[in-house]
Amino acid sequence: MTDLDSLRPTLDAVLDELIPARGDGLPGAGGLGIGAHVVAKLGDAAPFVAAGLAACDAQARERGAEGFAALPAAERRPLLERLAVEREGFLQSLVFHTYTGYYQHPRVAEAIGIPGRPPYPDGYELEAGDLGPLARVRERGKRYRDV
Amino acid sequence: MAETPVDVLIIGAGASGAAFAWSLAETRMRIVCLEQGGWIQQADYPTTRSDWEMDRFAGWGLSPNGRGRRDDYPINDDESPIKVSNFNAVGGSTILYAAHFPRMHPSDFRVKTLDGVADDWPIDYETLAPFYDQNAQMMGVAGLAGDPAYPPKEPTLPPVPLGKLGETLARGFDRLGWHWWPSDSAIATREHAGRAPCINLGPCIMGCAQGAKGSTDVTYWPVAVREGVELRTHCRVREITVDANGLANGATYVDADGNEHHQPAEIVVVACNGVGTPRLLLNSKSDRFPDGLANSSGLVGRNLMFHPYAYVMGIFDEPLEGYKGPTGCSIISQEFYETDPSRGFQRGYSFEMVRGMGPVGTALFGMSSGRLPWGDGHHEAYERIWDRTAGMVIICEDLPEACNRVVLDPTLVDADGIPAPKIEYRLSENSQKMLDHAVARGTEVLEAAGAKETRAEAPFVPAGWHLMGTARMGPDPSSSVVDRHGRCHDVKNLFVIDGSVFVTSGGVNPTNTLQAIALYVADYMKRNLANLLD
Repeated sequence: MTDLDSLRPTLDAVLDELIPARGDGLPGAGGLGIGAHVVAKLGDAAPFVAAGLAACDAQARERGAEGFAALPAAERRPLLERLAVEREGFLQSLVFHTYTGYYQHPRVAEAIGIPGRPPYPDGYELEAGDLGPLARVRERGKRYRDV
Repeated sequence: MAETPVDVLIIGAGASGAAFAWSLAETRMRIVCLEQGGWIQQADYPTTRSDWEMDRFAGWGLSPNGRGRRDDYPINDDESPIKVSNFNAVGGSTILYAAHFPRMHPSDFRVKTLDGVADDWPIDYETLAPFYDQNAQMMGVAGLAGDPAYPPKEPTLPPVPLGKLGETLARGFDRLGWHWWPSDSAIATREHAGRAPCINLGPCIMGCAQGAKGSTDVTYWPVAVREGVELRTHCRVREITVDANGLANGATYVDADGNEHHQPAEIVVVACNGVGTPRLLLNSKSDRFPDGLANSSGLVGRNLMFHPYAYVMGIFDEPLEGYKGPTGCSIISQEFYETDPSRGFQRGYSFEMVRGMGPVGTALFGMSSGRLPWGDGHHEAYERIWDRTAGMVIICEDLPEACNRVVLDPTLVDADGIPAPKIEYRLSENSQKMLDHAVARGTEVLEAAGAKETRAEAPFVPAGWHLMGTARMGPDPSSSVVDRHGRCHDVKNLFVIDGSVFVTSGGVNPTNTLQAIALYVADYMKRNLANLLD
């Protein structure tokens, strides 16, 4: 078990702060299960992020909670913002991988109005568009030089 | 290991090598093409997967230096403000190109006569016109006849749909009274020559899983191979060899297992693009050609032209459906293409519209531009940019300068230990003035189209798609590398048929023109087979 695996509840709670639940019932990034994607993609940044998550828990405990996930909702974001300053770069790769994991999720695609599938094989319909205004382009005449 | 001699050896299976091979196949000569890459399977393209947008950071990115593919070779472009974007495979860079397929203008071949800059080409638009037509059939060019920016031409297929995004941007040009027209696009808008029709997947520049885009692995090559051309993949040429008389007599290459071979040939044809071709010629040194093959002029590698690109984008209030449809193909504008001295620079440029981004691309754009915070307000901020971006690339003509060049890097080598190219390039004052003008006009048109906010990047750093001029064509052996038929002045059985031979760059994507040149050279060979080497 890696540090990140043992910190998974904390990670999920942090991800829910980065991308919260939408008003239409779509869960936040943690609730949607983006954590597995983030853990898989962090690469060399994993130890640094794990240390940051551990610091989240430690500071939450100082406030009497069992960990970051148990902290009252109103206290989570200020704590994260403070840690982002204290540990420069802590949130940078976390935000990047959270955004990429979240916005390639089929449920998110459907929530923003597109099919929750890869483009191929079904593709998309595209309007032909109005070519009527080209008449004015034609009227203005030849636009290349004779040689 | 020596191979059976062939009549014609083509090096490179990209845009020009494919067209040339197909044209020459009817001669029934023994023709072999060596290609350092392999065939790409359509099922491997990113749009078949949910995480397709992330592939631009890995195996399907623009730069060969970042993809980690053995088939690519590294390019040292540290000393260039524009980074090379090419691809090595059957199909070459057409695998990842946008398939925007304009022709050059008649004036592009006469820049010295008309504008007093650079040099005239030894061939003209009329010479290439029948080969543009031939290429349109083979590549399957969609478009709309009647564009007043060109002499009459007939596209093969109906135009790519404008979509809401194209229509919105066209409105901006219309309001300003500027030229615009549906793009000529090498995209099968209906079934064509066995290719399935375009289904508007989106990111053509990451390859077409549908096979609708005209990359030469699905256009010329299947026919050429059927006609008897032998295409050997994963064969990387180390050098072109010469005999005691100074004639090319074949090429030495390394196969996928690292074994070295020599392929003897009567005629050698180089089609490796504006960086790969000078690299190969400079690597082909001998006692007879100590400065590289066909380089008595000292011009092999010099006069490198990119097209300096500007990228201008806008954010609109309305959804544009920009995530669907061919990325780079909707409309073109050539309002500022021809020279107007009052603008303060020579020559001109094209606007080419670019569709919007996918969900992940939108999020990363929002993140990098500070528009998309985490936490409270995230979803509202995302809604303000999702499917509301549209823009354009602006392709500026690059004039040739001897100081812009491809040389061999003193230390960098490819996976087979072959010296790699290094780019030495700077933007000219003329290019900078043109970029400034282009960004201002691009911003103007986006605002006229309704953009509430715009941003620009110029030069657009990763846009080194177009590689031209490094083995230029001309009548004088002291000031050019090849003659009007692509034949090297110094080596009469060695031909160059790719973008290297361009004398000037025009202000449009070069693939259509370089393929027309390849077809024109092949036609010349076919007409003169009996006495080609006399």
